[in-house]
Amino acid sequence: MIARAMPPMNRREALKTSSGVLAGAYLASSILLVACTREGADRASATDATLPVEDMQLMEAIADTLLPTTTSSPGAIAAGAGPMMVLLLTDCYEAGAVERMRTGLDALRERCVERCGGPFNTLSPGERESLVQEIDAEAVAAGGTHWFHLMRRLALQGYFSTEIGMTRALRYVRVPGHWTGCMTLEPGQPAWG
Amino acid sequence: MRGARDDARPTICRPAGPPSHVFTSNAVPQPETTFDAIVIGSGISGGWAAKELCEKGLRTLVLERGRNVEHLKDYPTATLAPWELPHHGATPRRLIEENPLISKAAGYGEDTALFFVKDADHPYEQEKPFDWIRGYQVGGKSIIWGRACQRWSRHEFVAPEKLGYGMKWPIGYDDVAPWYTHVEHFIGVCGAADGLDAMPDGDFLPPFDFNCAELHLRDALRVRYRDRHVVQGRWAHLSQPREIHLQQGRGTCQARNLCMRGCPYGGYFSSVSSTLPWAQKTGKLTMRPDAVVHSILFDARKAKATGVRVIDAHTHAITDYFARIIFLNASALNSNLVLLNSTSSRFPDGLGNDHGLLGHFVAHHNYRTGASGTLPGYEDRYFYGRNPTECILVNFRNLGRQDADFVGGYTTFTGGYRTRGAPIESRMGGDYKDNQAQPGPWGIYMYMQGETIPKFENHVRLHDSLKDQWGIPRLVTAVDYDDNDEKMIRDWRTQAEEMLGVAGCTEVESHDNHQAPGLDIHEMGGCRMGLDPKTSMLNAWNQLHAVPNVFVTDGACMTSTGNQSPSILYMALTARAVDHAVNEMSRQLL
Repeated sequence: MIARAMPPMNRREALKTSSGVLAGAYLASSILLVACTREGADRASATDATLPVEDMQLMEAIADTLLPTTTSSPGAIAAGAGPMMVLLLTDCYEAGAVERMRTGLDALRERCVERCGGPFNTLSPGERESLVQEIDAEAVAAGGTHWFHLMRRLALQGYFSTEIGMTRALRYVRVPGHWTGCMTLEPGQPAWG
Repeated sequence: MRGARDDARPTICRPAGPPSHVFTSNAVPQPETTFDAIVIGSGISGGWAAKELCEKGLRTLVLERGRNVEHLKDYPTATLAPWELPHHGATPRRLIEENPLISKAAGYGEDTALFFVKDADHPYEQEKPFDWIRGYQVGGKSIIWGRACQRWSRHEFVAPEKLGYGMKWPIGYDDVAPWYTHVEHFIGVCGAADGLDAMPDGDFLPPFDFNCAELHLRDALRVRYRDRHVVQGRWAHLSQPREIHLQQGRGTCQARNLCMRGCPYGGYFSSVSSTLPWAQKTGKLTMRPDAVVHSILFDARKAKATGVRVIDAHTHAITDYFARIIFLNASALNSNLVLLNSTSSRFPDGLGNDHGLLGHFVAHHNYRTGASGTLPGYEDRYFYGRNPTECILVNFRNLGRQDADFVGGYTTFTGGYRTRGAPIESRMGGDYKDNQAQPGPWGIYMYMQGETIPKFENHVRLHDSLKDQWGIPRLVTAVDYDDNDEKMIRDWRTQAEEMLGVAGCTEVESHDNHQAPGLDIHEMGGCRMGLDPKTSMLNAWNQLHAVPNVFVTDGACMTSTGNQSPSILYMALTARAVDHAVNEMSRQLL
């Protein structure tokens, strides 16, 4: 609802939002990073394609259906994976990926309204899950070019590269200090980030 | 080093402005432009030349075409976690689109791009596809190198002549062995004493650990083959620093595996973390970054090189520097370029090039093929840290005698890895997410580093008309694979798939990526060493036969490629050549 209620943003504003969020996170985490972040933000602002903020929010909500909060770790929304997913999509993924994603998101919006009478973020978790399952099944049947494969890839890459994904779902040790080649894996121990 | 740089900017004879290709310069040596020795290039071999020359008391000028880089201070990305990088370590498409060539290099990314050239700045002409990977800065590619430090075996020195695919080296293993030790001691090389003929032992720090998949592979191959040894590679990492390393201000490798951003711990060797600051401490070093070398100056009356002509990278001002001896360490192909561009009435085809061999017999390492497989089991085993090293499956081909339908040997790098994401049926939801965060199956990878045969037709030369932004002719590359390389690839794939099968791997695959020569970043030759001045450019001490006060000790000097990683051989040859040069100077022979 919130996303729908917001006036559509133009590209530049959407970009400012997404890179601004990122820049804040960077600055908080390291002083060394300042130069890098600015450079990154400039590069991001210079990209030709981006997504309106409501697309980012929808992607993040879908990602959160794939990767929800559990007792083990926060999910995609709690990790703030959305801005990173947008940046990966616009800056790093193959040309044409943005268009494919937007077309897919629009189709999903239509289906939401038809099937459930409202936008994705108004659906119950169960409704979201069955809708995403349905689209995923279609994607599996359709093969590699279906937009939902792109969506899944972005969700996984975006989520597991956030600080929360890296440190609370996975385990990232900034300075391991040494290498031990062979040791026991404790039950339930997550993978290294 | 910055302070020294200003001192080293003496006579600038032309005001800043657009490049002119009519060279006028300070033809007369001045005290501030005169040194005992000049080193062209500050990479892995140039840094060694600087250290050795300065330690022996020679006032040494190091010319570096790129910007200054200082250890610690100029590593802006070194300590960043993935989520602190603009794209969390993913490479932006724009970076690739603007640098289609250099972005192919191993280790290139948004965190390391600052240590690679930009494609547009340094064009060259590919008569045949050749990926020329360059890092123009103080430290050169030693900041972004692979750090593999195996010694050549004695077979590698003699095989080309013995098996009829190349020329005799003027030196053998015994000539280089003490210099390998000298270099290993100073830079710090970790590795085990394996007692293998194909990959000799050295003065090593403790090796890194195997993981369980690597132990499994080692043991499985040991049972099945007599001649296939999986060992720890030899790596320029301080697994356990000694006093000599602490004196350099370097400490223990922290197993971060972020080497190519520059290491704030000095955990791996580079010129900027080790040899150059060491040389600086002697008070004998003058470092001159942003100095594009145009040519080596030759005096026909003295029959000697007298100095080096330099173009300032930014102002394009020209300065001549003078010295008794010159070490050319500009990187393999750039050293060829400098010599080819050093023309005079005595040497119209390039310095020391009386026979037209300069630029020919360029070779490289064949990195086209790799293989992998899934290793069942070991679900309850894991590791800690990020291993910056790899194992080596030591060469077993054509070792001392020919046993294949091709010549030359191959080193195989290999390692065990554990994937992420435990197999699970569900495709979304809590279980799915939590399983994605669990360790997945183990796997084993291998890739080949194969010897290639130096051939006359594989060459580089100067372009007739196209020039770079400093008015220096562009390099033309004409280097290709041959039938021997194809046969080697076929054999390697067969052997690798068989060995992964022997280890019990499933889903075994091998591939040929068909990458162009050069992407190996092991280009060698063009100015080869040899006994006979009629068939080689350099003598057994890396001196130009025709101009003995010029030493070429980087990859350009290679008579053949061997199958081991070459950098430490360049360092050893450099130290050996400096020792010889200084002896000759003290006897007034240079």
